[in-house]
Amino acid sequence: MNKRFLPIAALGLAAALGLTACSSGSGDGSGDGATNAEGQTLTVWIMEGTNPDSEAYFDEVGDAFTEKTGAKLDVEFVQWADAHDRFVTSIAGGTTPDVAETGTTWTAEFADAGALAPIGDYVDEAGLGDDLVEGLVTAGTYDDELYGMPWYAGVRSLVYRADIFEELGIEAPTTWDEIVAAGDKIKAAHPDMMPFAVPGDAEFGVYPWVWGAGGEVSTLEGDEWVSGMASPESQEGIGFYTGLATEHGFSSAGATTWKETDVLDNFAQGNIAMALMGSWTPAAIVEKNAEMEGKFAATPIPGKDGGIAPSVLGGSHLSMFETAENKDLAWAFIELMTTGEFAEKWGEQSGYFPGQTSLLDDAIASDDPLVQPFAQQMVEGGGTVPVTPTFGAVQAKKTTNTAMQAILSGQKTVEQALTDAAAEMDEIMNGN
Amino acid sequence: MSNTLQVPSAVQGAPAPRAAGGPARKSLLTRSRPWLLLAPALAVLAVLMLWPLVRVFLFSLQDYGLREIVSGEPNWIGIANYGEIFTSPELYTVVLPNTVGFAVLAVAGTVALGTAVAVLMASLGLFWRTVVGSAIMIAWAMPAVTGTYVWIWIFDADRGIFNETLEALGLIDEPVNWFTNRYTFYAIVLLNVIHHGFPFVAITILAGLLGVPKEMLEAAEMDGAGAWRRFWRIIVPNLKQVFAVVIILSTIWDFKVFAQVYLMPGGSGSNREALNLGVWSYVESFGQNRYGFGSAIAVLLTLVLLAITVVYVRTMLKEEEL
Repeated sequence: MNKRFLPIAALGLAAALGLTACSSGSGDGSGDGATNAEGQTLTVWIMEGTNPDSEAYFDEVGDAFTEKTGAKLDVEFVQWADAHDRFVTSIAGGTTPDVAETGTTWTAEFADAGALAPIGDYVDEAGLGDDLVEGLVTAGTYDDELYGMPWYAGVRSLVYRADIFEELGIEAPTTWDEIVAAGDKIKAAHPDMMPFAVPGDAEFGVYPWVWGAGGEVSTLEGDEWVSGMASPESQEGIGFYTGLATEHGFSSAGATTWKETDVLDNFAQGNIAMALMGSWTPAAIVEKNAEMEGKFAATPIPGKDGGIAPSVLGGSHLSMFETAENKDLAWAFIELMTTGEFAEKWGEQSGYFPGQTSLLDDAIASDDPLVQPFAQQMVEGGGTVPVTPTFGAVQAKKTTNTAMQAILSGQKTVEQALTDAAAEMDEIMNGN
Repeated sequence: MSNTLQVPSAVQGAPAPRAAGGPARKSLLTRSRPWLLLAPALAVLAVLMLWPLVRVFLFSLQDYGLREIVSGEPNWIGIANYGEIFTSPELYTVVLPNTVGFAVLAVAGTVALGTAVAVLMASLGLFWRTVVGSAIMIAWAMPAVTGTYVWIWIFDADRGIFNETLEALGLIDEPVNWFTNRYTFYAIVLLNVIHHGFPFVAITILAGLLGVPKEMLEAAEMDGAGAWRRFWRIIVPNLKQVFAVVIILSTIWDFKVFAQVYLMPGGSGSNREALNLGVWSYVESFGQNRYGFGSAIAVLLTLVLLAITVVYVRTMLKEEEL
């Protein structure tokens, strides 16, 4: 046929042969432990996009891993969007990897299904028990067993336009009243701007106000989950948050149906003065609009009368699957990734915080206005949504988002919307 | 169908020409030959399509979740999934009205616009027909996801051109979020789906139109029939089969519409009034790992679409006989 294609075909064949060679070694793990695993291969799934330069990073990890254990590392990158489906189908077919990155809200779900191996003993043996970020440990614990090794995390805080605050002589708000005062000033001086974005389809922006007012999302009382979304405290918190839009006019009609990505886009375009955004967003904002560099800063989310309102830790665990034949080897990889040098490097490259407390302390000591406040939020005000597979069902049904949207669009009052949301939460979480 | 087993010997035994020619008494061979020829295709279809359908039906009788997938154990619960579907108040107040009402309007709109464009194209010369054809093909070729986002931008509350125009004309004082209201939400979906669906109808009907005998139309014109009358009295009866195909296919597509709703602001479940059958089943079943419940909805959707198709095909055939 065409001669130009021959080298490409040959390359493809060589690559295919190389792959087979890689995978042929696995499966003869005889429990020798991690140090003498010559000829074995550890398969790992990592989510794509967290670290822009993950290929080079994992080349380095692979070399270190082979040096330490003798085994080869086979990393496959998976898209976040279809990761959950891929996990489910591979669980069904018994083809799960040995180790995988699992989003913090999935770990309990997969553990409940019996797909994950407990790692608590390994963590104790390594003496890491006290050095892991608490919110991530809570999210990785199911039925009093640790299934997810804290790897990295991010947290949402209050991001604001430092240039506009300076221009109007406003300090970063530390109470709810100060948020309103700052918003009024911005509204008067910059009528084109949205002083505070209140998105309707972003549930993790809602819970800080519930907790900041002293409310709860849902708590286990005996065997039963009881939602606190309709409590007077929660109503006050969500009433304040939605009131920023409905009473004070700080948000916009469009924001009623916004997701977090819409908040990010509009902030990058310079339309928003204050919003709750994640610790991983500053890099994205500057990437979308280079002019924003140096014009914004972050501060922990204020509680009602001061202090820090807890905010949900989002991030990933490294989980070991039951199908892993050499669990010692799998643990050796997990430990290599989540502690020390490689964990620190991952954090630097991805813009997330490591899951090891001793590494996080360095971030808190940083004087970067886009690192330190998030780190403080994470350590002093990190929260977790209820750790149960059924809360995933609540999220899938968008119970909280539905309430927010109904309030913002004026279809329901705060009380009515939250009473409905609490009832729905109880119904789903107690399995009826 | 025990006859099929004897077919091979019949093939060898019966003289083919006579069997094919006999009008009254059809031999075994004549009756079974079509099936014999179809057998390989049917076998493939049975494996590829029938077995998955059977599996979906079996899942629909179970409480089938992630735990069952891991253990591989069945978990029979009889018709409880179907019971839950039919006792869900949301089904009657929101999901069914949205799905059926939308499908009726969308099919009517798509077929009407498609036919109008087809008639226009039939009356054009070759050059302009190619130009119009290419233009509408672009609407057809656009992926549903891309098209949906374009409509979302047009109707965006804060920066959309629609709101800006209304404000400039003084029809509204401040931006309105069209996605939060059930009817405006579906009006936008309707625009999107009709815009995406009419080119197929137009091209299909154009092909039929070009096959309508010119003499018949000329004769009608000589007799004094106007364009309107010629359309209803000659073109429509001639294109009955084409319309049938187009309507059935559009009905099936518009019943199952998912991406165009799911991707709209609030359409993925946070605006409960905007749920349709596709999004509802996704949110209620797959989002919550309740694969049995999702299968039950899929079975019901298949049955409904099958019923619509059967009724429609039967009426068409009956009219033909008359």
